[in-house]
Amino acid sequence: MGKIVDLEEGLELVQKGITKLTNILEGRAEPSFITDECMMLYTTIFNIASRNHPQDHSQLLYDKYRELLEDYLTSEALPALSEKHDEVMLLELVHRWKNYKVMVRWLTHFFFYINRYYIPRRSLTPLAEVGLNCFRQLVYQVLKDKVRDAVISLINRERDGEQVDKTLLKNVLNIFVEIGSGKTHYYETDFEAHMLRETSTYYSQKASIWIVEDSCPDYMFKAEECLKREKDRALHYLHEISEPKLLQKVEDELLSPYTNQLLENETSGCHVLIRDNKVDDLSRMCRLFCKIASGMNLISEIIKQQVTAELTVLMKQAEDAASNKKPEKKDEIGLQELVLVRSVIELNAKYLAFSNDCFQNNSPLRKPLKQIFEVFCNKGFSGNSCVELLATFCDHTLKKGATKNSSEAVEETIEKTKDSSYGDITSLSQTVKLLAYVNDIDLFAEIHRQKLARRLLFNRSAHDDYERSMLKKLKQQFGWQVTWKMEGMVTDMTLAREIQSSFEEYLKSNRQENPGTDLSVTVLTTRFWPGYKSHDLNLPSELIKCVQAFKIFYETTYRRKLTWLYSLGSCIINAKFGERTIELIVTTHQAAVLMLFNSADRLGYSEIKSQLAMTDDEVTRLLHSLSCARYKILNKEPNSQSISRTDYFEFNSEFTEAMKRIKIPPPPVDERNKVIQDVDKGREYAIDAAIVRIMKNRKVIVYQQLVGECMEHLNHVFKPDIKAIKKRIEALITREYLERDQKNPSIFRYLA
Amino acid sequence: MHKLGRGHRDKVQQFMAITGSSEKAAVQALKASDWHLEGAFDIFYSQPHIRTVTDSRHLEELYNRYKDPYVDMILVDGITLLCNDLQVDPQDIVMLVVSWHMKAATMCEFSRQEFIGGLQYLGIDTIEKFRDKLSYMRSELKDEQKFREIYNFAFGWAKEKGQKSLALDTAIGMWQLLFAERHWPLVDHWCQFLQVRHNKAISRDTWSQLLEFAKTVDLQLSNYDEEGAWPYLIDEFVEYLTENGIVQRHQN
Repeated sequence: MGKIVDLEEGLELVQKGITKLTNILEGRAEPSFITDECMMLYTTIFNIASRNHPQDHSQLLYDKYRELLEDYLTSEALPALSEKHDEVMLLELVHRWKNYKVMVRWLTHFFFYINRYYIPRRSLTPLAEVGLNCFRQLVYQVLKDKVRDAVISLINRERDGEQVDKTLLKNVLNIFVEIGSGKTHYYETDFEAHMLRETSTYYSQKASIWIVEDSCPDYMFKAEECLKREKDRALHYLHEISEPKLLQKVEDELLSPYTNQLLENETSGCHVLIRDNKVDDLSRMCRLFCKIASGMNLISEIIKQQVTAELTVLMKQAEDAASNKKPEKKDEIGLQELVLVRSVIELNAKYLAFSNDCFQNNSPLRKPLKQIFEVFCNKGFSGNSCVELLATFCDHTLKKGATKNSSEAVEETIEKTKDSSYGDITSLSQTVKLLAYVNDIDLFAEIHRQKLARRLLFNRSAHDDYERSMLKKLKQQFGWQVTWKMEGMVTDMTLAREIQSSFEEYLKSNRQENPGTDLSVTVLTTRFWPGYKSHDLNLPSELIKCVQAFKIFYETTYRRKLTWLYSLGSCIINAKFGERTIELIVTTHQAAVLMLFNSADRLGYSEIKSQLAMTDDEVTRLLHSLSCARYKILNKEPNSQSISRTDYFEFNSEFTEAMKRIKIPPPPVDERNKVIQDVDKGREYAIDAAIVRIMKNRKVIVYQQLVGECMEHLNHVFKPDIKAIKKRIEALITREYLERDQKNPSIFRYLA
Repeated sequence: MHKLGRGHRDKVQQFMAITGSSEKAAVQALKASDWHLEGAFDIFYSQPHIRTVTDSRHLEELYNRYKDPYVDMILVDGITLLCNDLQVDPQDIVMLVVSWHMKAATMCEFSRQEFIGGLQYLGIDTIEKFRDKLSYMRSELKDEQKFREIYNFAFGWAKEKGQKSLALDTAIGMWQLLFAERHWPLVDHWCQFLQVRHNKAISRDTWSQLLEFAKTVDLQLSNYDEEGAWPYLIDEFVEYLTENGIVQRHQN
């Protein structure tokens, strides 16, 4: 009977201990535990449990532990909770939970012995878990709905703008998690699911109001705000797994159902925002709809339509302008066309910027934009090809300001554009972006090169830096093959200036070599420059002296052979018309013609031709420029508008002109055919080089693969024609670079 | 000989007449080729010992008969004489086959090496033997493989020294000659097409691929692959045929 007494005694001690603990937790006046008391409780339990006794006290103790907790909850916690509601209840709950955890901790300490041996031996639920289960059964399951509703109500109040106790909410929701031993099962089922439903309801209502009242940008602004706030909410007191689900619900209510309505809104939708360049709103639109596939597709579509519409307007304007052109000016690219070209370039730049801002990398707009602008890029307008238009635009942009001799009246708007175009680097990079859609970039490069040559040689380039900047952009986009010659040309000009300086120095120190006429020579490196024909020409003696003087200087200093291109030269001639002397700026060829009249008053066509040793075509055009054009320096007999071989010419001493120096326009030159020839030849070389490179690499290759790789190699510069590739393959077979396989003629072999 | 059946005996006689060989060799060759004459010829001529059959003195005499007085080569006059002796028209295609055997570099001339070497290979050292060999050589044109070799040889042989391509007129002449031996119905259209549309020299690749075209592509051009590796001139020929309604193409 001593054992039973011991057991009862022991249990009484434990009960006392628990009561003490309870009092402490309840804040009743009670001194705290001292170490001895704790030890005593622990030992008591130890004694009870370790006795060898027919009755298994451990089980008793185990059950007792549970009993104690249940008692505590039913007598203290539950009553306190059930009489409270809403926020107050939540506070109480948090408090109770906190206390309860302490209780469990202490009890577990006291009952430690059985936790250590008995429970593992019998594979029973550990004490801490028992504690958790008690709370869950007695408190949590009873109150969870009330708690949930209270929390959600607080959330909604916060949504409506009230300040709520975030820490409280966090603590409450933590209980949902802790009650599941850290797993989120109870949290999700008992709280989150409802919370999400409530969220949907809440936002569904808001959306239906806002969609009626607000413009698209305003609505989007609100939507973004909501999403931001929900994100904060999730951060502050929800469990992290709720964030994505929560945001999804918001999107589902605010954005998905109204996608079309918002984007296609007549007065404030996507196309209006584009039209009015509202970049911020568009960016927001893209941020909001980036996860909604139908939204992004719609935005893409709207942008495409907008671009196509704007481009179509421009193209139509161009066609109208073209049909209004005077027939003799039909092939010229005038300022009106350049204005339109600029608009197209800017249009592309604007939408590329949109594309990058809104969609960033992998923009779904890149390909459609390319397709839309390809209409322009492959057709051009008003009878001019796109590459010509763009090359002319670049030429215009890179030229110096209006020349002194353009005395045509120009409309104000065109003047403004003209002035603002010069040296405008932005225009140039925008041009390069548009050029990216062009197939035949080598054709553009060749025309650009021709025009660059004219700018450089006739000193019309605004600045070397602009030229280099443009070439750099082209090189970055298309590779060095497209620009290396042009870079050489620009460098040549610098070198030529140095050579000219040394020539002038040389003349100063060798006065006897001075030819008597001021001479300036530009020395070009042949392989960089377009191929100019060097016409034979009988120069007047003054010019012959000049040529000789320079030749001696150059060939002794630099030891290279020079070929003279008189067709590119110019002269300033003092012409005496009666009392007045006017300076005429003419080409060397024109000068040669005029100088003939120093020693003869009247000359016939054939005399002029034979004295100069030129072709009929050249003579005709020269004489026309001097006698039938704007400034009639020569009188023609008969006085018709065309040159014939029976005409006679005299110096027109009656010629008057207000200005002291005039430029006689040179005969026009059509370089177009030459450009195409040069480009074709360049392409042949390029295809040859590509084929040989591929064959060297592969040694043996099937025809289709050869063609495919060839195209890949060349695509960034031009689109090779299959026929052209076949022709080059054949030529290379003849030149024994490759051969067909004996058995299978579709296979080619490299011949080392 | 009397042990053989009549048909076989005829063949042996024919064989001997053509090759100038002994009866024993004839029977041997024919037996080995299962009594097919052409196969027998192949066997007979591919035997290396044949070369020793020729008498090099005779060969020298033969060469000297035709050789040009000033140059150590047989030129046009010599060839005319040779053809006379052979009783063959100089334009006869068999002369092409002869040139092929001789590995002649250019038409209308044979070097000493080419002439003597070629005859040795063929086992010929007299004009009579040469004449006898002609029908065999004609028969070689019927062999697919040999025809192709002769055809491709003709390009290098017919073109001018130093040129890489074959002049159009010469090419057309050769094609007429060659496709008389191996019938190709489109040859006239081909020649016409070239004169109308191309009017330039023919490359080696076009030349050799044309034979492939004639051999493999049917007259309706139904198995012609325009994405294929045909030379561009042949692509254009197909376009020409379709455009002018000469062939109704049914795309596959």
